[in-house]
Amino acid sequence: MDIIGRRKLINVVALTLACVAAALGLFWLLFILADILRHGLGSITWELFTNEAAPPGMAGGGLKHAFIGQLLITWYAVLIGVPLGVLGGTYLAEYGRNRAIGRFISTLSDIMISVPSIVIGTFVYAVVVKPSGHFSGYAGAVALAIIMVPVVLRTTEEMINLVPWEIREAAFALGAPYYKVIIQVVYRGAATGIFTGVLLAIARIAGETAPLLFTSFNNMFLTTDMSESMPSLTVTIYQYAMGPYDDWHQMAWAAAFIITAFILLVTVLGRLIIRWKYKH
Amino acid sequence: MAEAVLVVNDLNFYYNGTVQAVKGLSMTVERHSVTALIGPSGCGKTTFLRCINRMHDLYPGHRYEGEIIFEGSNLLCRKDITALRSRIGMVFQKPTPFPMSIADNIAYGLKLQGIKNRAELADRVEAALKQAALWEEVADRLKQPASGLSGGQQQRLVIARALAVQPDIILFDEPTSALDPISTSKIEELMVELKKDVTIIIVTHNMQQAARISDRTAFMYMGELIEVDATDKMFTNPARQLTEDYITGRFG
Repeated sequence: MDIIGRRKLINVVALTLACVAAALGLFWLLFILADILRHGLGSITWELFTNEAAPPGMAGGGLKHAFIGQLLITWYAVLIGVPLGVLGGTYLAEYGRNRAIGRFISTLSDIMISVPSIVIGTFVYAVVVKPSGHFSGYAGAVALAIIMVPVVLRTTEEMINLVPWEIREAAFALGAPYYKVIIQVVYRGAATGIFTGVLLAIARIAGETAPLLFTSFNNMFLTTDMSESMPSLTVTIYQYAMGPYDDWHQMAWAAAFIITAFILLVTVLGRLIIRWKYKH
Repeated sequence: MAEAVLVVNDLNFYYNGTVQAVKGLSMTVERHSVTALIGPSGCGKTTFLRCINRMHDLYPGHRYEGEIIFEGSNLLCRKDITALRSRIGMVFQKPTPFPMSIADNIAYGLKLQGIKNRAELADRVEAALKQAALWEEVADRLKQPASGLSGGQQQRLVIARALAVQPDIILFDEPTSALDPISTSKIEELMVELKKDVTIIIVTHNMQQAARISDRTAFMYMGELIEVDATDKMFTNPARQLTEDYITGRFG
């Protein structure tokens, strides 16, 4: 066989293997999505959003408490995680560049991104839940924030690094002090990218269950008190799916569907913003 | 002899504390003139230019020796670098519009100087754009992003931005090497026009450009200033053989 023929053969083999691998991954993803859609869509009722949990075994319960708990925990996680991540990323890209400490923190965040979230849950259990003596919404928010920080930090760093150095030098050449260069010029150039990173980080934490099990735990009542244990959609799915009642299973499907749809929406939104940004 | 705006005495500059990029450079720059810095790549002309507005201070490991007298004192000893930089503007090789509107780009330096009055800002923006011969092209789209302008327009915008703060000197670092010939000739005309208001120092690889627009030309080689003289004389009858070899294209 001549060399061209051999290259063509290798190309066909490699392409086939790549396609099979992609199809395999895609199959399971579509399978899961279809299953959630099939079971979840039919289980969505108006009562799901308006009613709180009914006593176990009784009909007519909803997940209002879990929706509100989820939103509150996520909101506080964003309040804690986003400023830390953005400021940290700014430090790495601006003040920490060319410094050993900067590279160290960057590498550490990359490792943090892939730490299993249950480890973060147990960590927060040890440093927040145990000393305070009880589960709380705050502990849940702290756990989710810890998951968010490295994601936001690395995105911020990368987006800020995309702003060309010449732009900064041009601002310095007009007599701008460094903090004004960062706030008025660099952030403006990197804003869409950072915002997208925040969105993707929110999508990342929206489906987390393990860290909440150890921190905000769960309850069956509507509460806005972040210092008490707090219900969340993901932990509710976990609990209801394990439970013995049929309507619990239905609600778990519905909640799974809503979370999946939410994550999909946020991710697509993030992608759209990126595409829009680079078209202009 | 015209009034000197800069007097450089025995300037040495080192990167990373040891690599010497400018060696014992001494020259004067006359007010309201165009001075061209020429020489082969790596000869230190950009490094010298960036000494004048202390741009090297942004990076670790730099070291200056000698003096550059500006406004009666050695600017290498000044502590208020941001104030110094508002007196000495800079235009780079690639256009550097900020990610904001055309008007905001021009107003940026003015706002840094504490000008808040909207009417005054608008007046100064218009004046700077007219001075940079860009006003007629952008007057009806001042609120639009500066990134929508062409490369040549962006470069004139950046010049207008530098002019807006009314500096004494503007440093140009190969300002036309990323532009097409028509944009280049517009910028060249502009620089000749501007010297009644500011002093211009330009680094260029294009010797025809130096010959066309500059009053004085300085030739640098391996970190040293070989010769500085009136441009006419430099290009017709240079004192040093090395200068003649470079200008006639025998090396570099």
